[in-house]
Amino acid sequence: MEEHAPQTTEPLIQLAVNRVVEDSNTDTRIVVLTRADGGADHFMVWVGASEGEAIRRALDTSTTPRPMSHDLIKSFGEHLGIKMERAVLTDVKSSTYYATVFLENKGVVRTIDSRPSDAIALALRCQAPIYVTQDVWKRRTGQNLDAWLSKLETKNIGAQEV
Amino acid sequence: MITQMQVKGLMFDPYNNAYIVILRDDDQSEMLPIWVGKSEASSISLAIENVAPPRPMTHDFMKAYLDAFNAKVISVVITDLNEHTYFAKVHLTYADSEYTVDSRPSDAIALALRTQAPIFASESVIRKQSSEELDQWLENLKPEDFGKLDS
Repeated sequence: MEEHAPQTTEPLIQLAVNRVVEDSNTDTRIVVLTRADGGADHFMVWVGASEGEAIRRALDTSTTPRPMSHDLIKSFGEHLGIKMERAVLTDVKSSTYYATVFLENKGVVRTIDSRPSDAIALALRCQAPIYVTQDVWKRRTGQNLDAWLSKLETKNIGAQEV
Repeated sequence: MITQMQVKGLMFDPYNNAYIVILRDDDQSEMLPIWVGKSEASSISLAIENVAPPRPMTHDFMKAYLDAFNAKVISVVITDLNEHTYFAKVHLTYADSEYTVDSRPSDAIALALRTQAPIFASESVIRKQSSEELDQWLENLKPEDFGKLDS
């Protein structure tokens, strides 16, 4: 029976956002995620500067004088009673990751297509778990980039402290 | 009193390294400039030019979030101006109830353009806005300051 087990039943891997690293050469941010089960491997997603900062603000639980875009989405949810259940990184095509956001209201679940950056920025604000499929985890980039990443962080150490 | 405004365009403000969304009323008698950040300007620009990016941008995601439960944006209102910070409200209907959510004008405008919701400005905002100051500022702009958004 086991050999007939469909792939979709493979358990998702829960991720935790570890940090956001600035890549000043390209004005992008690298979101570094780790396995919630404590595994040492990293999962990295390249995002735009403003998206990266939206994730960083949620990590730091820093507040801004006015609600930023993902704070507004969270606020819509609070007003309308929409709960974010989870974010899942579902696919990778041509180095672009795809995410699905699961929303729930009065027992009705809806999914929406999303960039990982929006899914992660909203998940952190809503305390929703972030998952990756086994397939996407296996196809992740940056498995050998730890050394490069630490070099980048050393170079940006000043910026990281701000 | 509120006045309906149209998004007339976007300009780069080289002095503040920021972007300005220009709102005008239908009579072309009032103008409301709103300073926004680069990513917000880029999002508004995509909506003005009706460009669908390959992946949903944050305000497309925001619209999809509301669409998923059939929540509708009725209107957005620029409500207040305080120390060069503008305040806005997004008015929604959902399951026969109305909701009002506090927002930055940039998010409100980016969402309104995507949901075909009208944009209003309260009279007090238009009154507070010193158009004299803006006219002077506009006169000092060089032609090359007007251009397409580079992103």
